[in-house]
Amino acid sequence: MAYQFDFAFIPDYAGMFAHGLAYTVGLTVAGGAIGIGIGIGGAISRLWNLRPFGNLYRYYVELFRNTPFLVQLFLIFFGLPSLGIKLVEWQAAILAMVLNLGAYSTEIIRAGLQATPPGQIEAAESLALTRWQTFLYVMLRPALRKVWPALSSQVVITMLGSSVCSQISAEELTFVANFIQSRNFRAFETYFFTTAMYFGLALLIRQAMRLIGRHLIVRRPLS
Amino acid sequence: MISFSLWDIVRNLAIGGALTLLLSLVAFVLGGAAGLLVLFARIGKWRVPRAMAQMHIELFQGTPLLLQLFTLFFGLSLFGLDMPAWLAAALGLTLFTSAFLAEIWRGCVEAVPKGQWEASACLAMSYGEQMRHVILPQAMRLAVAPTVGFAVQVVKGTAVTSIIGFAELTKTGSMIANATFQPFLVYSLVALAYFVLCYPLSHYAQSLERKLHAAR
Amino acid sequence: MPLVSTNRLHKFYGKNHVLRGIKLDVEEGEVVTIVGRSGSGKSTLLRTLNGLESIDDGVIEVDGARLDVDHADGDTLRALRQKIGMVFQQFNLFPHLSVGQNVMLAPQVVKKMTNAEREGIARDMLSRVGLAEKFDAFPDQLSGGQQQRVAIARALAMSPKVLLCDEITSALDPELVNEVLNVVRRLAAEGMTLIMVTHEMRFAREVSDKLVFMHEGRIHETGHPQEMFARPATPEFANFIGSLN
Ligand SMILES: Nc1ncnc2c1ncn2[C@@H]1O[C@H](COP(=O)(O)OP(=O)(O)OP(=O)(O)O)[C@@H](O)[C@H]1O
Ligand SMILES: [Mg+2]
Repeated sequence: MAYQFDFAFIPDYAGMFAHGLAYTVGLTVAGGAIGIGIGIGGAISRLWNLRPFGNLYRYYVELFRNTPFLVQLFLIFFGLPSLGIKLVEWQAAILAMVLNLGAYSTEIIRAGLQATPPGQIEAAESLALTRWQTFLYVMLRPALRKVWPALSSQVVITMLGSSVCSQISAEELTFVANFIQSRNFRAFETYFFTTAMYFGLALLIRQAMRLIGRHLIVRRPLS
Repeated sequence: MISFSLWDIVRNLAIGGALTLLLSLVAFVLGGAAGLLVLFARIGKWRVPRAMAQMHIELFQGTPLLLQLFTLFFGLSLFGLDMPAWLAAALGLTLFTSAFLAEIWRGCVEAVPKGQWEASACLAMSYGEQMRHVILPQAMRLAVAPTVGFAVQVVKGTAVTSIIGFAELTKTGSMIANATFQPFLVYSLVALAYFVLCYPLSHYAQSLERKLHAAR
Repeated sequence: MPLVSTNRLHKFYGKNHVLRGIKLDVEEGEVVTIVGRSGSGKSTLLRTLNGLESIDDGVIEVDGARLDVDHADGDTLRALRQKIGMVFQQFNLFPHLSVGQNVMLAPQVVKKMTNAEREGIARDMLSRVGLAEKFDAFPDQLSGGQQQRVAIARALAMSPKVLLCDEITSALDPELVNEVLNVVRRLAAEGMTLIMVTHEMRFAREVSDKLVFMHEGRIHETGHPQEMFARPATPEFANFIGSLN
């Protein structure tokens, strides 16, 4: 084969790659943190059927889990301005990430909460814990501990999915890759290298989630 | 400027939707077949195929679908293969699907209790006989719900192929949105179309899941 | 020549030396019961006999089929397993197959029997354990005791030379224990070679020709059950008997 692979351009674009990487990490951290927060709220509302949130959450979850992230993003970025809501690209990207991850976390956390053995709740109530205390210590923490691996996977999936944010010109990693390959005409090498960066980032995020899980959730004032 | 009636919009989206459905079916069927091969390599006894299968799974699960499509598209063009968008889309999505299904199914095989392996081994069955008569039939029962659930991810995944130029639902939507200056309406219809395709599958997967749990 | 014989059998789990040189001979038609404290290696010994656990040293011979550290490939294992049946504490019936199919599966795929042959055998074996009428039932429609009897029939359908039973009544409700013990009692009376682990001491004393007391991975004391219970030779066994009541 005549083609010579050439990755020598990478150092020249190190700054741009770093920018894209930081952007992607930023999207993921914001999306992950707020999304999981929404998920906790959603799971509570669904579980206790708080009106009107319980039902609203149900429609929200089904809607976002059954449509592509890319379409959600387009609807937010291109569609909302017709309703007078104008978002710049990073705002739209974060909003889409948050809403998408929020929908998935709601379902994941709800499943965890539902798996609380009834005996545990009765035991807590017989100890005169308030509803909130019971929820916090007997339900939420064990539930989060149980579903943390699933949540972590979902955060990674969402991070990988964020590559389509390049389509609204959010300057994340894939956007940067598109830009660079249009300059150096080394499309394959550029995308290959970028793919490898995503792969590494996925590993890092998984590790980070493991650490967060260990420190926030397992360290427990339980019982 | 051409003016679009609502009917024009819907009609064009329907064509895109049909292509989305077709691509989903192709990717799911071919990806399922490839996934079966990856599964057997992954759970088999030979070390090299096992490592390769694991690499395949981790690569495709650990990188963005969009980048997989780009890399495939431009990688193959290095070999002088000029790929039309539909082929790159089908190929990329098939590989993506095979990795996820193989991993889902591996989980199902491993969920079959160890006692089933032991009992069949005690009856002097070979590995292949154990697999065929004891393990796989039970794993398949477990696999139905998550497999149907993953079909939803495949349908949604097809949207990404719009970016490499395959004129499925999302791409059609973008073109119409640009032409009509009615992005909110058009993208809402696009979202609705995906919802109509995906929701029944999600719902079915959930009810299968519940039935399986109840049966235990 | 003994039907089953092991020599210098050693087994490690990591650094845990679980079997420390087991020599055990079992004659054809003999009923041997292995007793001992939890963790003494009873299950491990039983499971090495048919190759469910690998061994780190020693030899196992069953009716001419031989297994040692260097010869434990798939064919060797399968040859050995054709001679040995095993029944588990947790039954391990195949839940996707009917009772009859459970019993017929191995005769079909391993012994390549015809339809008629294997169905005949399955019906025979099921009536031996008193479950002829359950041929078409599924495992989850049976009580624990019935499931365990099907498991015995399934093992017998391969006409093994020896049957291994690892605490086969431990997972059963007390009122179901006897129906399973009765089946074992009948097998013993019919001359089946049995090697079993059980906590049912009265039953062990009644049916066993030989009692084996395991302690810390060794056969610590062995002999005729009545005599051993009457006059324990080692303080460990005396202690063990004492802890039973
Ligand atoms: N799969 C395994 N991996 C590691 N260690 C094991 C394994 N199985 C058993 N062991 C260890 O080997 C030792 C003997 O176990 P074994 O199950 O043979 O005892 P046992 O006499 O059958 O006890 P019990 O009466 O509780 O069934 C124990 O210390 C046990 O912890
Ligand atoms: Mg045991």
